[in-house]
Amino acid sequence: MNKHIYLDYNATVPLLKEVKKSLIDCMNVGPLNASSIHYYGRIGKDIIDVAKTNISELINTNKNNIIFTGSATEAINLLFSNFDTIIVSSIEHSAVLFSSKSDHIIPVNQDGVVDLNFLELYIKKLVKNNKKILVSVMWVNNETGIIQPIKDVVEIAKKYGCLVHCDAAQALGKIKINLEEIELDFLTLSGHKIGAPSGIGALIYNNKIDLMPQIIGGGQEKGMRAGTENILGIRGFGEAAKCIINAIENNCLKVKSLRDYFQEKIKVLSPETIFFGEKSNRVSNTILMALPKIPGDLALMKLDLESFSVSSGSACSSGKVSKSHVVSAMGYDNLASNSVRFSFPPNDAILNSENLITREELDRLALCWSNLQSK
Amino acid sequence: MININQVIKEMDLVGDPSNHRVVVAMSGGVDSSVTAALLVEAGYNVIGLTMQLYDYGKALQKKGACCAGSDINDARLVCSKLGIPHYVLNYESIFQDQVMNDFADSYLKGETPIPCVRCNQTVKFTDMFDRAKNLGASAMATGHYIRRKTKQGQPSLYTGVDLSKDQSYFLFATTRKQLDFVRFPLGSLTKNETRSVAKRHNLNVANKPDSQDICFVPEGKYAEVVRKLRPGSVEVGNIIDVNGNILGRHNGIIDFTIGQRKGIGIGGRKGVDDNNSILYVIGLDTEKNNVIVGPKEFLSCNKIEISECNWLIDLQQVSEFKVLVKLRNSSQPVIGTIKVNFDNTLAYLLFDQPQFGVSPGQAAVFYNINEISHILGGGWITQAPNKLAETSL
Repeated sequence: MNKHIYLDYNATVPLLKEVKKSLIDCMNVGPLNASSIHYYGRIGKDIIDVAKTNISELINTNKNNIIFTGSATEAINLLFSNFDTIIVSSIEHSAVLFSSKSDHIIPVNQDGVVDLNFLELYIKKLVKNNKKILVSVMWVNNETGIIQPIKDVVEIAKKYGCLVHCDAAQALGKIKINLEEIELDFLTLSGHKIGAPSGIGALIYNNKIDLMPQIIGGGQEKGMRAGTENILGIRGFGEAAKCIINAIENNCLKVKSLRDYFQEKIKVLSPETIFFGEKSNRVSNTILMALPKIPGDLALMKLDLESFSVSSGSACSSGKVSKSHVVSAMGYDNLASNSVRFSFPPNDAILNSENLITREELDRLALCWSNLQSK
Repeated sequence: MININQVIKEMDLVGDPSNHRVVVAMSGGVDSSVTAALLVEAGYNVIGLTMQLYDYGKALQKKGACCAGSDINDARLVCSKLGIPHYVLNYESIFQDQVMNDFADSYLKGETPIPCVRCNQTVKFTDMFDRAKNLGASAMATGHYIRRKTKQGQPSLYTGVDLSKDQSYFLFATTRKQLDFVRFPLGSLTKNETRSVAKRHNLNVANKPDSQDICFVPEGKYAEVVRKLRPGSVEVGNIIDVNGNILGRHNGIIDFTIGQRKGIGIGGRKGVDDNNSILYVIGLDTEKNNVIVGPKEFLSCNKIEISECNWLIDLQQVSEFKVLVKLRNSSQPVIGTIKVNFDNTLAYLLFDQPQFGVSPGQAAVFYNINEISHILGGGWITQAPNKLAETSL
């Protein structure tokens, strides 16, 4: 039996060592309900404050603009419940596509980048009859790793007085996010994509805009998200943010060299492989590719049986794999059921911390990939 | 007590079990779960596959229900218990095209279809087979109660040992080529033995009730499903007798089956109290959208036409021989003479005794007259002319 090789970091990142330690420390403190006014309650409040400070430093924003939620999806739902008109891109994650219930969908080009001309024309048309429009475009696509021109999106949207949300779940930890440089109104984040536990997300918002909460109750998170705070999740998210900021900023060179090594191997061993967004501005850790004759779910099963954990299209919680709406949106509808995603650790800090993958393992994986076509 | 060596012998795979990967088609029920358990026990390298066939939430029209329902999760839990990989195959669009649409169209033609056979024929034994082969499996096993035996190098099919659970009626369309690859480890077991294996392995499905209905038809309300699949194509019409007299109205011929007696909706007719007063559905006229009712004698049928025949024996170019034939899963086989057309896929069957309530769309499955457990083949009933055909209606 081979060692299990995990190349699905865009799905989730294992808990970082430092995060694990911080969680155990936190568990050892004792009962932590941050709403309590006593000694333990104060410690709880401090933990939340430190976490918000760490996250705000990572993305360069005011810590008072952060609301913790149970997930990025929840943060998106909370935000979207405040808008009737939402413009989204066609390659958004289901958390955005489905919760926006939007018919206002902006296409992407064959390189997987949102069509800015279309966006501007669309806003121009829509803005005549609407006062309050939210534009929602993701920073980094979860399947292709393609970086979207968020700065341009913001510029266009602002020209017409629209507000802008960016789903940055896949950007955090992979590229620099600096909210001082970019005039976003809302940003959503997910803790487990950078090595925090799952079950913690955040909405970063411009507090000049009044939002209504979805979950009402004890008034936690300034009344924006009731329910006793998930102290462990928050602590872990804060610690993971600290780890990333402490590592050399945006250092993904090692990740990129592994990813590119693997890609070159594949090109040699199975030249018929199609890479999506190879020429586009991509994050360093992601490859989305397809073999024209091999369904993605078959590739995934066979690789899994060879002890490689990768992912394909978008999977329902049942395990059912559906075709990729992202690949379809890029104009490759015939390959939308064939795409397979390989995602490496998001940055060198995380790659180094666990010594996660070797070139020999990538050689074996590339060989398995090329063997998929032989019966 | 189940003899594992017997299981290995019936698997009919050369060499040590550990050299063979076997895919088990897992529905999440106790039968396929025990199939997987027995093969793991026997030492095969087992993979569980479950088909996602339709949107469960939509079918039940239940908000918030997952697309997959609880059966997939049951299968996953069993595989986790057995320590084997489990995958879900998304066959929703294939199932819609090849099974559900066929099911709806068949009802609209006045037939009574058996979608489970279509599913075995298309999705399960075609697409899932291919997937199993692609995964490098030596065989695919299912939890059907039916036996596969190899005689003179050719695989043959026999009814399950537990006749109360025998599934030969639903598997007649399995081709000889498919039989090379498929295995039925439960064929020699009784249902009680199956449940005892499930208990011994402490499987979560050990006490799960058997499924009764067609999987995508909630509570057996098939007509509602047809109306949903084919909106606007079901029309109200007349219920008439053999003389053309209108006895009442119906809401669509899909609500009726040949031979049906109850729930026709023309009760309380005055002045009819002789022996012939009980009325049956004897015909469904799709052209005029009439349901035709009449006394039982009109249901009498001497001869049927069977198409898309699948044969599990070698046939002469033109053959005529006696068989036992089953016309419904629940009925006893009857004797008839079969005449096979030269291309082997069309056959005519002459009953020794007239049969009542034979419905096109159902299957006719043939058994060896000298050895009733031996399945010879079967096909789809396309014509079942009864006495009504002799009248001018």
